[in-house]
Amino acid sequence: MPEAVLLGGEQTTTAVEWVVFIIAATTTLLGSFGVIMARNPVHAALSLVGSLFSVAVLFLNQGAEFLAAVQVIVYTGAIVILILFVLMLLGIDTEEDLEDEPLRGQMPVAVGIGVLLTASVFALTQLVGFDVVTGTPEVTAAIRDDMPNINQIGRLLFTDFVVATQLAGVMLTVAVVGAVVMARRPREYQPIPEPESMDAPLSLDPTDQGADNGAEVAD
Amino acid sequence: MTFAASMLASVDHPPIDWHALAPELIVLGVLAIIILVDAFGGEDRKWAISSITSIGLLVAIVPVVTMAVDGAVRSMFDAAYVVDNYALLFKALFLVAGYIVVLLSTNYIAEGDYWEGEYYQLLLASILGMMIMASARDLIGIFVALETISIPAYMLAAWRKRESRSDEAGLKYYLMGVFASGVLLYGMSLLYGLTGSTRLVDIAAAVSGEAPALVIVAIVFTIVGFGFKVSAVPFHTWAPDVYEGAPTPVTAFVAVASKAAGFVALITVVLVAFPTQPEIFEPLIWALAAATMTVGNVIALRQTNMVRLLAYSGVAQAGYMLAPLAIAGHSATSAELATSAIATYLVIYMAMNLGAFGIVIAMARKTGSAELSSYGGMLNYAPALTVAMTIFVFSLAGIPFLAGWYGKLAVVLALVQPGTWFGYSMAIIVGVNSVIALGYYAKIARIMWIDPAPDGDTTRVRVPVSVASALVITAVLTVAIGVYPPLVDQFTGAESFLTLGF
Repeated sequence: MPEAVLLGGEQTTTAVEWVVFIIAATTTLLGSFGVIMARNPVHAALSLVGSLFSVAVLFLNQGAEFLAAVQVIVYTGAIVILILFVLMLLGIDTEEDLEDEPLRGQMPVAVGIGVLLTASVFALTQLVGFDVVTGTPEVTAAIRDDMPNINQIGRLLFTDFVVATQLAGVMLTVAVVGAVVMARRPREYQPIPEPESMDAPLSLDPTDQGADNGAEVAD
Repeated sequence: MTFAASMLASVDHPPIDWHALAPELIVLGVLAIIILVDAFGGEDRKWAISSITSIGLLVAIVPVVTMAVDGAVRSMFDAAYVVDNYALLFKALFLVAGYIVVLLSTNYIAEGDYWEGEYYQLLLASILGMMIMASARDLIGIFVALETISIPAYMLAAWRKRESRSDEAGLKYYLMGVFASGVLLYGMSLLYGLTGSTRLVDIAAAVSGEAPALVIVAIVFTIVGFGFKVSAVPFHTWAPDVYEGAPTPVTAFVAVASKAAGFVALITVVLVAFPTQPEIFEPLIWALAAATMTVGNVIALRQTNMVRLLAYSGVAQAGYMLAPLAIAGHSATSAELATSAIATYLVIYMAMNLGAFGIVIAMARKTGSAELSSYGGMLNYAPALTVAMTIFVFSLAGIPFLAGWYGKLAVVLALVQPGTWFGYSMAIIVGVNSVIALGYYAKIARIMWIDPAPDGDTTRVRVPVSVASALVITAVLTVAIGVYPPLVDQFTGAESFLTLGF
């Protein structure tokens, strides 16, 4: 059993890791400031991409390859692109006036909460230790040191958790089927109150514009 | 040997028992078939989809029966996927409930010009999730199964796309369901963080003894998350609007099968993962159960719409089913009794509630509404439906010798077994609530038997064959179980019904 490595614990940090950390942390912060400072919403969204991408680099720096990949695929790849789509649909020419606050006094409150959260995280980690949240350090450590965690997760998905993996596939397939139905426009509505009408030809109503009965209804 | 090849070579494949997975695989195969028939079969083959679905559900019962005859407990993936008598009973229940819902849906969906193929695909996927839920014994399996049950149900609730009330139902169900999943997932992630395992047996071993505050939070969040799914008060607010807005067969499905799946998950998690923490979950479930049955019954008294009334009645019934869990932590015996009582009640509830919704579907073809007053004078123009509905509502009320009576008896017997004030008080609350409930159930019967038809319209109701057969199945079950309880008792009362964590 390899020695468990605590995230953020007493492990040694190489010079390269320090350099990468400083660069990624700086770009994360710059991106975050860009999100709230940019006047153009598209610029704000692109700053968010930069910030989230830097967080992915931070994950990579910590040896969490899977989280890094998911961070890029889900957040930068899907969610921000969705935000950009919405912005494009709404029109991107409008610039926000940062002086005009729709919610009066939200800035000082936001700053206050931010400082408080930072202080509490700092206090917890300094006063109590890094395992304060769960009390069980082994859970946050790598299960095996000799293998990248993407391989470990992949193995688990196709061995011990194969039922859940396959079921998730079914769920996603069916979700796509349902989403298509939800998004489609309803067909022309022809209420059929009584079952005997089931025996009649589909529809002889000339006003029916339904997609499925072409011109074959004439007898 | 390359790196990738060495990685592959060292994967040890867990053994897979294909017999244990056969029911799920059959349902999955039927799902694939109806997707293909829907995509390539053309418009004139649409009718075949509902037939294929119902036949497929019946075929999937066959391996369930062969495993039940065999009687062995099949455990896979380090006890993360277990097929025992408990799992088999619920798999059979979900398949039968699904079959009855398909019978109720066939004409409704075909005549209402809804999206037909997709309807059955979503229904089957939801049933598949339920069947896996019955066997899942780890947090990841339970969560994925829960989402596979819920996501199709959200979309089915919004299936009447031209009705704004159906859109409302879908949206409300979705938002509340996602919120509940978030709460549940938070509780589950805390459990994993605290114990380092997602398997329920490992969690049980890790949380035994004095519980730190975080364990309490995790247990409470997990139970609250399932509380939404089974519509326990105060997490029931979505139920009436969703039931009213959704297409009625979907309502029946959500009210019976979905709720049963929520109960299965709740029982499994509470009794397999937390059996050593009764002082945390028992008071919580006691309060939930008492509030659920009382609030459900009192609000149901004032309803004027049949579907909303059945929704609140369903909330109250969930309270009766929650009640035995409140004493399940006393001892291994009380846990076994409680599990059997809930399983018994769920089987009976499936029959009588699906039947009641079947009557609503049959009557809506004539009246076009589900207002209580539109049921007036039913005896004159639909005597068979009236008798059937009377059986269902009196069974829901718990009149002897109908099935609902035996369900309540099993619950009360489980409650008084430990001989503590905790169980006795719950049993008294169940009794008082049964009396309150009789008020509105009897009101339905009075309207049907005595009141005149609201507009003097006494043309007969045409009941399609499939709906009629669904009504016959549910009515026969309701009466037969009431007269001869061992019909269900022999399955739920078996020794080592659920592989417990004691």
